[in-house]
Amino acid sequence: MTHAVQTVILGLLIGGVYALLAAGLTLVFGVMNIVNVAQGALLVLAALLTFELWRRFGLDPIAAVVVTTPAMFALGWVIYRLFVARIRTAPVSMTVLLMFALAITIEGVMGLTWKNVFRSVTPSYGNQSFHLGPLFFPKAQVYGCVTAVVVLGALYLLLTRTWTGRAIRAASENLQGSELVGVNIRGVAALTFAIGVATTGAGGSVLSVLYAVFPASHYLWISRLLGIVVLGGMGSVPGALAGALILGVAEALTATYVSTRWAVVVFYVVILAVLLVRPQGLAGSKLREDVAG
Amino acid sequence: MARGRSKAVAALAALVVLVGAACSGNGDGGDAGGGQSSKPIVIGASLPLTGDFSQPGGAAKRGYEVWAELVNERGGVTGRQVKLTVLDDASSQDTVVSDYNRLITRDKVDLLLGTFSSLLNLPASAVAERNRMLYVEPAGGAPALFERKFKYLFFAQQATAPHQADVFVDWIKGLPADQRPKTAAYPTQDDPFTTPVIETMQKALEQAGVKTVYSTVYPPETSNFDTIANSIKARNPDLVAQGAVFEDGVGMVRSLIKVGFSPKTLFQTSAPSNSDEYSKGVGEANTEGVFYTVSWSAEADYPLNKEFVERYRKKFNKAPEEDAADAFAAAQVLQRAVEAAGGIDQDRMADWLHANQVDTILGPLRWDATGAPQSDFLLAQWQSGKSEIILPKDVATADSAVTPKPDWKG
Repeated sequence: MTHAVQTVILGLLIGGVYALLAAGLTLVFGVMNIVNVAQGALLVLAALLTFELWRRFGLDPIAAVVVTTPAMFALGWVIYRLFVARIRTAPVSMTVLLMFALAITIEGVMGLTWKNVFRSVTPSYGNQSFHLGPLFFPKAQVYGCVTAVVVLGALYLLLTRTWTGRAIRAASENLQGSELVGVNIRGVAALTFAIGVATTGAGGSVLSVLYAVFPASHYLWISRLLGIVVLGGMGSVPGALAGALILGVAEALTATYVSTRWAVVVFYVVILAVLLVRPQGLAGSKLREDVAG
Repeated sequence: MARGRSKAVAALAALVVLVGAACSGNGDGGDAGGGQSSKPIVIGASLPLTGDFSQPGGAAKRGYEVWAELVNERGGVTGRQVKLTVLDDASSQDTVVSDYNRLITRDKVDLLLGTFSSLLNLPASAVAERNRMLYVEPAGGAPALFERKFKYLFFAQQATAPHQADVFVDWIKGLPADQRPKTAAYPTQDDPFTTPVIETMQKALEQAGVKTVYSTVYPPETSNFDTIANSIKARNPDLVAQGAVFEDGVGMVRSLIKVGFSPKTLFQTSAPSNSDEYSKGVGEANTEGVFYTVSWSAEADYPLNKEFVERYRKKFNKAPEEDAADAFAAAQVLQRAVEAAGGIDQDRMADWLHANQVDTILGPLRWDATGAPQSDFLLAQWQSGKSEIILPKDVATADSAVTPKPDWKG
């Protein structure tokens, strides 16, 4: 029994971490209709930046968030202005292609800078756990979950409670209409994209503590994150949290009671199942064009 | 899917090679004894200098270079200087095939040295075999290589993949009955290097009376080991033997620490041999008592090993990697074959290697008829933040093994 409860706890904790990693992707995906397949590469880049700060200055990976978040925000802004803005009106497939090219470029740059070796940040709490009776809660995952809640909460508040958020949502629903009522479309789009990329600062920090990262690890992460975002409903922040928790638990239970071979497949099976049964995801809303299509 | 396609392409490439070889047939060659003994011996190899295997590929190149430098300083091989021609196959099976074809037919190199990894050596050794050229390879121990019963292929490490942990099994069997593990868990990555090691070990230990309480084969994409560690903890085995490539080995140790389970004996395949990366990954204090097997150690007192380590440090300003040492050893095998055959006669060299033993910096190597090596790996263990050799006894650097493994230091 303890074993089963422990398995679910581990699943929930890792689900919280997944939610943190998926936060920026769901924002950009839903709000701007851009499938940012470079998000995984940016995440690994942030993890390697965290590693560098830790190696050079002994900076704690969680404290490093205050450096990596603005750095990733600035990078996101530049990427948007230089590349994404140019194909804003092009079909979605073009943006996928562009982001994929960016992902490969970032991977190459990381390979040159940090070499093709595994890097991980190992602060003292990286291997420790909180204990509660017979149960244990790995500290790094707990911190990751807390960060996830903070980041997702901040994103949710930003989108629903601020004028900037309203402008972002308005722009996503009706580009011309929002421009007509005075929304600065170009500014809003760049801001949204940059915020999405900035979340990798916190995500990369947790990633660097929990996993050994490698320039090519981003393929693994982007496929998982897409699974989470598709399950949660594209663009829905609460949906991403729910999707991440469900997938985290499903992965843990499969690894324990079915087979570790099947655990990694869970994400892809879920994508197929969602597309068959509920294409808009758990919390996504059907758009007019979906119905028409 | 990508793998399937590349296999198909490789098969096609192999077919093209086959046809090409049949057409070119018995052209030139056979000028071994000629009056060109003053000309340098040209040795061709293609290595993965870019792409997935670029790290080990680069190390192998440095190993070959150090060998060539040392040999040339000592008057060369049979009085002739050696010259290396190293191409880059970009970790691609297609490129490695065209590279070796080019080396043989266009560059007309005198000798070949192998490439890195079973994946690349599999098609490359077939090119050498068709052209009847000796092919000594430094890294590629998958059984598939030797099932083809090639005559010119030799693997220059101590044992093929399934037998890499035999020395550890023997060590376990040699323990007094009350210290021998009674139960064991075998998590292994689904990888051609690790799975055969663990499968062979599991079978041998089961026969020796060690009960298997947990075993799982996890895919290479697995990044979270907490659930596996949690399941192992619930079974409470005396021995955990993991088929770990690298990051999964570090991940498993960290997860075992997190779940608070420290087995009495911990064995991992390759991961702990990546000295610095491994001890940084798991924390130096947590390495204490971890067993692994390895082909080479800088400390082993084999002829030329010290010179190799010193020259490598001087030339490249860093400690040599295992992959570099394996390449050096492969070149030593080739050198010995040329010397024993008294010149470059591919058949005589192959025959001699099948019948004789060669001393290398990995220790003495010998082969069966398929080119599969017949010796034992070194059994190593982390002790006080350093890796020490436990077996074989004649080159051991530690008097005894740390057992049982002390608790994790957190």
